[in-house]
Amino acid sequence: MKDDSIQSLAPGRQPAVKWVLLEAVLVVVFGALFAVAANRVSPRGLALTRNFFPEGTGRLVSATPPAAPAHDVTNTHFPAIDPAQIVAAKLREKGLQLIDRSQAVQLFHDPRFQQNTVVFVDARDEQHYREGHIPGAYEFDPYRPEKYFDAVLPVCKAAEQIVVYCNGGDCDDSETAALLLRDVGIANQKLVVYGGGITEWTTDGLPVETGGRNSANPRNPGK
Amino acid sequence: MNTGQPNWKRIALNLSTVLMRWLLGAVFLYTGLSKALHPVDFLKLVRQYDLVQSYWLLNSIAAGLPWFEIFCGLLLLAGVAVRGAALTLLLMLVPLTVLVHHRALAIQSALGIAFCAVKFDCGCGTGVVFICHKLLENFLLILMSGWLLTGYGRQCSLRFDLIKSNSR
Repeated sequence: MKDDSIQSLAPGRQPAVKWVLLEAVLVVVFGALFAVAANRVSPRGLALTRNFFPEGTGRLVSATPPAAPAHDVTNTHFPAIDPAQIVAAKLREKGLQLIDRSQAVQLFHDPRFQQNTVVFVDARDEQHYREGHIPGAYEFDPYRPEKYFDAVLPVCKAAEQIVVYCNGGDCDDSETAALLLRDVGIANQKLVVYGGGITEWTTDGLPVETGGRNSANPRNPGK
Repeated sequence: MNTGQPNWKRIALNLSTVLMRWLLGAVFLYTGLSKALHPVDFLKLVRQYDLVQSYWLLNSIAAGLPWFEIFCGLLLLAGVAVRGAALTLLLMLVPLTVLVHHRALAIQSALGIAFCAVKFDCGCGTGVVFICHKLLENFLLILMSGWLLTGYGRQCSLRFDLIKSNSR
């Protein structure tokens, strides 16, 4: 049995290095092919040709709820600055209106909400939506828009006011969703972003619905 | 096969290398899967590094890297093209570790805290971690990948060398 261990990589045995390099190239090539195929087959695969962050939406993106301790700098570029202020500035820059908690509550109690001319759009993913959303809010994950366009677009087109929200804090998924809706023809003046998001909404003890839209499953906001 | 080493020492070396290969393979399988199952979250994390301006490239990295890690992890677990896979991981780990380090320095500078107190999700598939732990972990992974290049631990492998050299 020949020894093919470390000695084979010694200077006097250059061919072994060559074969290892060639093997690495093959691993890269087949690995890349595997990755492309797996992403295509996976139900969670990403669409490579879609711009998920239209018009250079900000980079203060949170993949997790923002209820983190002050020293936790998860997903923040400029953690010393209040992320909510940065999000507000970015929204203004993009021509989007930001509303606060009282305005969101006012719109929630507006009679037009019952007539579907004021609509709430939840820009978080399905799992978070099902765990709890503003009652009656439409699910619209901006990273999988094709799944929701059929349900959301006609409603948004007919609505007078659309309130888009996500987790709040440094989350900018609501911005991404609002810009996406604007890109597909929803008038800008209809769109407002509720900056406090679901975190502020639940913290303030406002009603929350779990499961699907209008499932009438209230959740104790304190939980 | 006589290299001057006692037989038991060689057996221990081979056994520990096989275990190292399995550990490295399992780590990459786990981290790859955790990213591949939540590609949007990973996409957002990759985007924060400002690596590329093109969204197509950004999407390709976020969509491809996790599956590529899974592929390399599987190769190591099965013992196929071991040195090629180890070299690939080594070449991937070094720049990624540098990137994570740079980002940690930027966060440290913004917060004015001790370097090891910096804690963030680097997109490495292990969630929010303290930077010093992460750097130590990556250093160990780099060492393990490097060690696998030596060619020890051929046991329990389907095809250790993908290409058989005629010169040997």
